[in-house]
Amino acid sequence: MTTASEPKGLARASKVYRNRAYRAREWKAEGKKVMGYFCCYPPLELMTALDMLPFRILGDMDESISVGDGYLPTVMCIFYRSCFDLGMKGRYDFLDGFIGAHACDGAERTALIWTHYIKSPCNFHLDIPHTSHVAARDFFKEQLIHLKETLESFAGSTIGEARLRDAIALHNRQRGLVRDLYELRKPDPPLLTGSEALQVLIATMCLPVQEGSTLLEEVIAEVKTRRETPEKKIGRLLIWGSLIDNTALTGLMEESGLHIVVEDTAIGVRPFRHDIEQTQDPLDGLARHYLEEVKCPRTFVETGASYGEDLENRFHYLREFATHWKVNGVYANIIRNCDIHGYEVPAVRDYLEGLGLPVLIIEQDYSTAALEPLRTRFQAFAEAIG
Amino acid sequence: MFFAGLDIGSTITKVVIRSPEGIRAAVIKPTAAEHRRLAHKVMQQALDRAGLCFDAVQYIVATGYGRINVPFADVQVTEITCHMRGIASLFPQVRTIIDIGGQDSKGIKVKDGKLAHFVMNDKCAAGTGRFLEIMARALGVELERIGPLSLQSRRPAEVSSICTVFAEQEALLRLSEGAGIEDILAGIHRAAAHRICSMVERIHVDREVALTGGGAKNAGLRKAVEDRLGFPVCLAPEPLLTGALGAALIAEERSARAGSRDMRERQRRRRLEAVTFFD
Repeated sequence: MTTASEPKGLARASKVYRNRAYRAREWKAEGKKVMGYFCCYPPLELMTALDMLPFRILGDMDESISVGDGYLPTVMCIFYRSCFDLGMKGRYDFLDGFIGAHACDGAERTALIWTHYIKSPCNFHLDIPHTSHVAARDFFKEQLIHLKETLESFAGSTIGEARLRDAIALHNRQRGLVRDLYELRKPDPPLLTGSEALQVLIATMCLPVQEGSTLLEEVIAEVKTRRETPEKKIGRLLIWGSLIDNTALTGLMEESGLHIVVEDTAIGVRPFRHDIEQTQDPLDGLARHYLEEVKCPRTFVETGASYGEDLENRFHYLREFATHWKVNGVYANIIRNCDIHGYEVPAVRDYLEGLGLPVLIIEQDYSTAALEPLRTRFQAFAEAIG
Repeated sequence: MFFAGLDIGSTITKVVIRSPEGIRAAVIKPTAAEHRRLAHKVMQQALDRAGLCFDAVQYIVATGYGRINVPFADVQVTEITCHMRGIASLFPQVRTIIDIGGQDSKGIKVKDGKLAHFVMNDKCAAGTGRFLEIMARALGVELERIGPLSLQSRRPAEVSSICTVFAEQEALLRLSEGAGIEDILAGIHRAAAHRICSMVERIHVDREVALTGGGAKNAGLRKAVEDRLGFPVCLAPEPLLTGALGAALIAEERSARAGSRDMRERQRRRRLEAVTFFD
């Protein structure tokens, strides 16, 4: 609960970013539940409707993976290895429940291993189809019903339709506020840095939905009335690919002459781009949104008649972002061993270069210890754009 | 009007002072452990050679691994861009640059005189000058001789390892099996060329290709790269200087873009002195 002495706006975002569990621990102290989840697919609305705090499980680029390597093979994506490593080290001991998800193979396998070694009173594994055919959508809706029933059983109460619609409205409102925040990155120079935006987005993923929305409102008001004009840089980047969850990386890019104006990543536009439709059966709206509107290469998009049509089907929304945010370069961020994004690189590069955008591709080691060699690459990219 | 480019490499420091008419002076010196204090001294040597005082230089660009240690530089530009500009000025027809440095190697694609794609290996000694230094020492041959000696080989030995440490073991094993030094050296150069070319092939090798950096001065490595590519490569008269040359060219460009008041302000503030943040 925020008090008069609590910081607001960007200062609050920074505080939550640096100590992500502090609100969750207070929530628990009030006798409420905190549910950890993987990736952008478990519907947050179901948790909010039961007065649970949905808590996005992330890794830590500052923490060297040690325990996790004793359980997971090196071929496992480093991000999920880091998440698991933190879990084994007790960093997520405040979670009352764990919702794993088959977002990708890394998430799926780590989720199953997590539930084996890290005990929670409530566990669920969300099976998510890799296609969005009608049959897949129906299957996914069934999975959401199972998830709903599991959460209700754990909470000891049921989610009434009105309560679910309220939760959908609350989360949609937050999505709208995030989109408003992104509007502030359209000007040149953007009113908000990529590092600041990252702290805000991560903070919303650690806070109850209404507190996250309040935070977004504060940040938007604060940024709009800022007096100092930020320095104008050469590059205006779209980041595509594996998520970035540490400002050391965004800061490095910004120090190298690059603005970050929009991110098509799991801590970027993907969870916030689209609002859930209020359908007759709310679960239909949830299923459709999470399966089809959270755009990630983990979901197969139907092939077109030609390669060009294929690319257009899969990546057309990137053109919209590039145009409206006046992007002049793309950084394809690939966490080492991320098959989902790694395999997509040739196609997304073809599409973006076809739009006339230079693309920098880096396979990185998800570690702040390994960041400095990337500085030359980002600087050279900025020089190429300039 | 004079412009300077300083390329502070991991192994060697290079300075080029140039006017629109051409290179006035160049200096190449080892980057010692104390390199962080050396930039101003090397610059002074270049000025002496050019017969110029410091204030005669309008604009200075620093590049290379140690580019942040040049307090009197007006701007730092990455060595990727500088090598590209240097080679583009010498060989406008070049579309791929292979730079083999002391502790890294790079592939750079040029399109219409601008940087297109690049790829770097700065994680591992294989395919860099360091690999060859280690091998030379392990085999007891002076570094300057390994290239010419390798060209005498009739049957290059197989040195297949990607890792420098394992390659060293393998080379010594070949020696104990009775292979000639020149054959082992040829095998080592082929291993390095294989590693480097595999990396550059990731961004597609398009002709013409230029070889640059200290590694380009090694005739054995040059031959191994040409054999691997299947065609000859372009070579600058002094491959070590292409980065500093590119930096000097960029200095001239930036100077033309800067306003005269900005230029006067820069020159007023600039001092030819050692970097101070280590004190």
